[in-house]
Amino acid sequence: MRYLIIGSSAAGIKAAETLRGLDREASITVLSEENEPPYSRCLLPEYLSGKKSREELTFRAGNFFKDNNIETMLGERAVYVDPAGQEVILESGEAVGYDKLLVATGASSTCPPLPGIDKVGFTGIRNLDDADLILNRCRSGNKAVVIGGGFVGLETAYALNRRGLDVAVVELAPHILALQFDATAAEILANDMKQSGIKIYAGTATRELRPPEGLGRLGSEAENTVVLDDGTELKAHLVLTCTGTKPNVELLVGTGAEINRGIVVNEYMETTVPNIYAAGDACESTDLVSGEKGLTPIWPNAVIQGKTAAYNMAGRPRKVSPLLGLQNAVEFREVPAIAAGLSTSGPQDGLEILTVHQPTRGIYRKIVLEENVIKGMIFVGNIQNAGVIAALIRKQADVSKIKDKLLDYSFNYGYLWPGMVKKELEEMEAEAV
Amino acid sequence: MKEILLDYDKCNGCMACAQACAAEHSESKTIVGAILEGVRPRIFVQSVDGKPFPIICRHCEDAPCVDACMAGAMQKDPETGVVTNEGHAEACVGCWMCIMACPYGAVDRDYRSNTALKCDRCPEREIPACVASCPNNALFYTDVNVYADARRTAEGRRLLAIG
Amino acid sequence: MSTECVTCTQSEVCTSAHPSIQEMYSRTHDMGLDTIFDRYQAQQPQCGFGMTGVCCQLCSHGPCRISEKAPRGICGATADTIVARNMVRLAVHGTAAYTHHLEEVAETIKATARGETPYTIGDPDKLREIASVIGLDTDKETNQLADELADVILAELRKSSTEPLALVKLFAPPTRLEAWEKLGVIPGGVLSEVRDALTKSMTSINTDPVDLMLTVLKLSLAAGYMGLVGTITIQDILLGTPGIAESRSDLGIIDPDTVNIVAHGHVPLMATAVIQAAEDSELNELAREAGAEGIKVYGSMCTGQELMQRSGSSARGYAGQLGNWVTQEYIVATGAVDLVMMDMNCSTPGIKSVADQFHTKLVSVDRVVRMEGVDDHIDYSPDKAEEQARELIRMAVEAYRNRNGGVFIPQHQSDVVAGFSVESILGALGGSLDPLLDAVKEGSIRGIAAVVGCTNNRNGHDTRGLNIMKELIKNDVLVINAGCMSSASEMHGLMLPGAAEEAGEGLKAVCNALGIPPVLNFGSCVDIGRIGVAVTAIAGALGVDPSRLPVVASAPEYLEQKAVVDGVFAVGFGLLTHLGPAPPVLGSPMVTRLLTEDIEGLTGGKVLVEEDPVKAAAKMVEHIDEKRKGLGV
Repeated sequence: MRYLIIGSSAAGIKAAETLRGLDREASITVLSEENEPPYSRCLLPEYLSGKKSREELTFRAGNFFKDNNIETMLGERAVYVDPAGQEVILESGEAVGYDKLLVATGASSTCPPLPGIDKVGFTGIRNLDDADLILNRCRSGNKAVVIGGGFVGLETAYALNRRGLDVAVVELAPHILALQFDATAAEILANDMKQSGIKIYAGTATRELRPPEGLGRLGSEAENTVVLDDGTELKAHLVLTCTGTKPNVELLVGTGAEINRGIVVNEYMETTVPNIYAAGDACESTDLVSGEKGLTPIWPNAVIQGKTAAYNMAGRPRKVSPLLGLQNAVEFREVPAIAAGLSTSGPQDGLEILTVHQPTRGIYRKIVLEENVIKGMIFVGNIQNAGVIAALIRKQADVSKIKDKLLDYSFNYGYLWPGMVKKELEEMEAEAV
Repeated sequence: MKEILLDYDKCNGCMACAQACAAEHSESKTIVGAILEGVRPRIFVQSVDGKPFPIICRHCEDAPCVDACMAGAMQKDPETGVVTNEGHAEACVGCWMCIMACPYGAVDRDYRSNTALKCDRCPEREIPACVASCPNNALFYTDVNVYADARRTAEGRRLLAIG
Repeated sequence: MSTECVTCTQSEVCTSAHPSIQEMYSRTHDMGLDTIFDRYQAQQPQCGFGMTGVCCQLCSHGPCRISEKAPRGICGATADTIVARNMVRLAVHGTAAYTHHLEEVAETIKATARGETPYTIGDPDKLREIASVIGLDTDKETNQLADELADVILAELRKSSTEPLALVKLFAPPTRLEAWEKLGVIPGGVLSEVRDALTKSMTSINTDPVDLMLTVLKLSLAAGYMGLVGTITIQDILLGTPGIAESRSDLGIIDPDTVNIVAHGHVPLMATAVIQAAEDSELNELAREAGAEGIKVYGSMCTGQELMQRSGSSARGYAGQLGNWVTQEYIVATGAVDLVMMDMNCSTPGIKSVADQFHTKLVSVDRVVRMEGVDDHIDYSPDKAEEQARELIRMAVEAYRNRNGGVFIPQHQSDVVAGFSVESILGALGGSLDPLLDAVKEGSIRGIAAVVGCTNNRNGHDTRGLNIMKELIKNDVLVINAGCMSSASEMHGLMLPGAAEEAGEGLKAVCNALGIPPVLNFGSCVDIGRIGVAVTAIAGALGVDPSRLPVVASAPEYLEQKAVVDGVFAVGFGLLTHLGPAPPVLGSPMVTRLLTEDIEGLTGGKVLVEEDPVKAAAKMVEHIDEKRKGLGV
C-alpha cells in the first residue's frame, strides 16, 4: 500500500503518524513544498519575538520521519493530480504514484484590495519564509503597522512588540478579535495589549498605503505611510497584513473533486474523488454548532481530521465527530482567554446569554444557550475549567439543571457527576478512556 | 495499565493529596518547601455545592489535550501511558489550547513558568504522591479492570476496606 | 439545599435573605471586590477533618487527623479526646470574651460612681434589688452602692476556681443547682476556670473526654451566669433597663447627607458616649461646616441592639440598626459611612479590605481590638470616654470631607419594635406574667423558642434562621430573639405587630390582643442572659424546673465561640437546643452521643442537629408538645 500525504503540518503529520501506527509495512510519503522538518506555524510568533529559535519550532522530534519510516519529498511542489492514473505530478515533472492520497495543503494568506498595497508590497505571516522576510525587514527600522486585529494579527503584533518594535494594529471591525470575542471581552484584551505599548486603532478602515517618497526611499530607514479613514497617518518600516486566509484547493481543481470554499469532504474525510482524502485548513467539514459545512481552521481540528483520514485510508472506517469551527485559546500579555462556538451572539439573536463581568479584575465569562444547550462561550481572565464548558458545547448536552452554576468561578466537572448530565458524561468518558 | 481512581464518597476534602502533589513536584520535596517555592498542585480538589470533588487527569487513551497541543509539548508516552507536557524537546508555550480541550478541567496554568500544569503521575515514584497521601483511602492506584472486578464482588469490597 | 430558601420566589439559593444585601453584593461583585460570599465560595471544599473536629494541632507531632486508617493521634489520643479537647478550647474563648465585656462594664460603673464618666446610674431600682439579693447594705447612696456591687462582680470574676460562683447560687433555679452539683460543674471564679480549662486542654494533661466535656459545661455555666446574666444586669444598672422602643433597620435608613457613624461590636459603652456627644452643638456646627446636614449614629451587630433597646433612655437619638455580622462589609460598601467604631468582637478583616476602596475610617475603640492596616485606636477608657467620643465624631467629620462619590444605598428598610425584657413585659402586662402564662396554658401560645445567636453564610445569610422562625410562629410558637438573629427579624419585618399575620391563629390572637409582634426583640447576644432570666421567672411562676417547660432554644446559624458556650449553657439549663451547622464534634461518636442523647438524662437538655429548617422546626414543636403533655396542659 502506498500512502501519499501532501502537507507537513498538523493534519499531514498526524495522518502520517497515525497511518504508521495502523500499518507497520506500508509505504508512507510526506510531500511538502517547504523544505523544513515539521514545524508548528502557530509558533511563528514565538520565532518572531525571539523566544524560540528556528529549531525549536518543531512539534515532533527531529528524527520523526526516520523513526517512523516515513519517506519525505520536501521542497517539492505538487501541481496536478491525475485521479485516473492515481498519480501526483510535481513541478519538476516527476510523477508520484499513490494508492491513497491525503491533501493537507493548508491555507494561504489573502491579500486585501487596499489601495497602494501593490506599491508597498504585501506581507502576511503564514510560514517560515514569511517570518524570515519580516525579521529581515525589522532591521530597517522599528515601526510596524499590522492591518487586521484577529488572532494572527494580534499574536504577530505582540511578538514584534516583544522584539522591541513600536507596533500599531488597525482593525476594520468595531473591536479587535471580532470573529470570536464580543466587545466586552475584546476591551479587556485590548487593554491588556495596550499595557505593552501596542496601539490599537479599531473601527477604522485603511484608506491607502503609501511607499516612501522622494529621497526618503533612498534611506536605510525608509518609512511607509498607512493612511486611515479618518486621515490619521501611521508611519511604518514594516506593514503587515493579517486579514485572513484562503484554503489551498488548487491542486484538486480539474480533478472532479467538489470544491466550495474549501475541499468538500464527508465524515470519513473522503473527497468526492475515490482514494483522495482531505484534512486540515484546506477542507470543509460540518460545524457542530451550526450544523453546516464550513472551514474549521484551527490546529486541534486539523489534528483530529488528519487522524480520522488516516483511519479511513487504512481501511478502518471511522467518522469524524462534528467539530467546533470557531474555538481558540490565547494569551497575549497576561490575560488568558478562551472562546468557542457562537461566542459573539447576543440576546438579539434569540439566544439566552449568561454573563459575569468584573472589569477591575479583567474577568469576563459569557455562556450562550439555546433551549438549555450551550452554543458558545467566552472565558477571559480566569480560564480554569473552560474545557468543561467547551465539552458541554461539543456534547450539546441539556444543562437546564446546572444552568445557575455555569458562571460560578467554582463550576467544575464534578457538577456533571451526580445525575443530571450523566448519560452525556458516560459517553464522554467512554470516548475519552 | 494502572490508573489513579477515586472513591468519591470517601473524599472529605482535606486536600492532603494536593499538598503531597505540590511537595512531590517541588525542589525540596516537602509541603512547606512547596509553599515557599510557589509550587502548585496538579490535582484539583474542587467542590460541588460544598462537597469535595477531586479533579484527576485520566491520562486518556485518545487524549484531547495531546491533539490540541500546537507546540507538540503535550505527549502520551506509549510505554507508561502518561500524558504530560514536560520533559520533551518540544516546549510548552502556554497557549492554553489544552485547557480548552480537556473535558475534565484537569489542566491548569502554572503561573511561575506560564506553561500548562497537569498530572504527570509522579515519574519518580511507584505510587503517585496523591494516592500515597490520602488518609481516607479515597484514591487508588490500580488497574481499572482489577478495581472494577473488586468493586463487583463482596470479597473485593472487603479487601478494599482494609486496603 | 436549594429547596431551603422560601424567603423569596427565586429558585437559586440566595447569597442573603435580604434584598438590600443582595443588591450590595452585586455592587461589590461588579467592583471586583471580594466579599464574604466570594471568600466562602473560594474556601470550598472545606476539610472534613476540621469540620468533624478530629484535627489536633496542639503539638509539633501534629497535625494529627483521625481516620479509619489512623484511629489514634501520634500521642495515642482518640477522636473522643481530640474533639472534647477542641471543644474546651472553643468554650474557653467564648467565656474569656464574655468576661472581658463584663469587666469593662464593671470598671465603668466604678468610674461612674466616682463621677468620672459621661454616664449616670441608669436603673437605681435594679441596683438596689440586686444589691439586696447579694447581701449588700442597700441603705447606702446610689453611687457608693454601685461601686460596691462592681467590686463584688470583679471579685467573683477573679476568685479561685474552688470557690463556687455566688451568682450561680443566687440566680439559678434550685432544681438546676441540684443537677449541676451532682455533676460537679458549679463553677468557681471565671478567670480561674479559664486558666484551669486552658491547662487541661494542653497536650497530655487531661485526655479524658468525659471530664473535658464536663469542663465545657462548667465553663458555659460560668459564662452564662457571669458573662450573660451578670453582664446584662450591671449593664442595665449602668445604662438603664430596656424599655419598649420603636426604631428602624436595614441599609435603607442610611442618610446620605449626614456624617454617619456606625457603632459595631458588642460593648455599647463608647457608643453610648458617642450618641450623647452627637447632640453637642459645637460638633454639629463642625459637621455643617463640612457640608453635612448633621451627625447620625447607627448600630451594627450587638452594640446596635443594645443602643436600640435603650433608644428611649441612654441612647436617645439612635438612628437605627444597619445589620449583623455578615452585613458589615456591605454597610461600608454603600460609600455613605464615614466612620466605623469597632468595639470588642466581630470586626472581620474583610471590612478593612472594603473600607480601603472607600473613604470610610475604621477605628478600634477597645484595647483588645486590633486589625491589620487600622492605625487609629481610641481605646475606651471610662474616665476619658467623653473626650474620646468627641474625638471619634471629629474623625468622622474629617472622613466625611473625603467622601469620594459613589454612594449607593439600597432602598429597603423596616420599622422595628424593640426593648423586650422581663421588666418591660411585666410593665406591659400590668405587673404579672399571668396573661402570658395563661395563653401558654390554654394553648394559644404553644410554647416559646429562643432563636438566638449568630448569623452565617453556610446556607445563605439569615436564610435558615428566618425560615425556622416563620415555621415556628406558624405553629403558634412565640419566638424570642437575641444577637444577630434579632437583626435578621428586624430587617425582615418580623418584629412588628403586623407580622402576627404570618403566625398561627392562636399566636396571632394573642399578639393582636397584646399589640406585640410574634417575634420579640430581646436585644443583643448577651441578652441571651435576659432570656435565661425570663425562663427562670416562668419556671418560678409555674413552680417547675426549666427542663419541664415548653421552651426550646435554637442557634440556627451559630458561628463563633461565644455561641458555643451559649449553646452549652442552654443545654445545661435544661433546654432542647437546636444548632444549625453541626458543631465540630461529629468525628467523635462519644461526644456526639453525649450532646445529642446522653446529656438529657443529666441536665434535661440536649443538642438537636438538623440542617433542614422545616424539619428542625417540626422537631422543636414536637418537643414542645411533649413538654406540654408532661405539664398536663
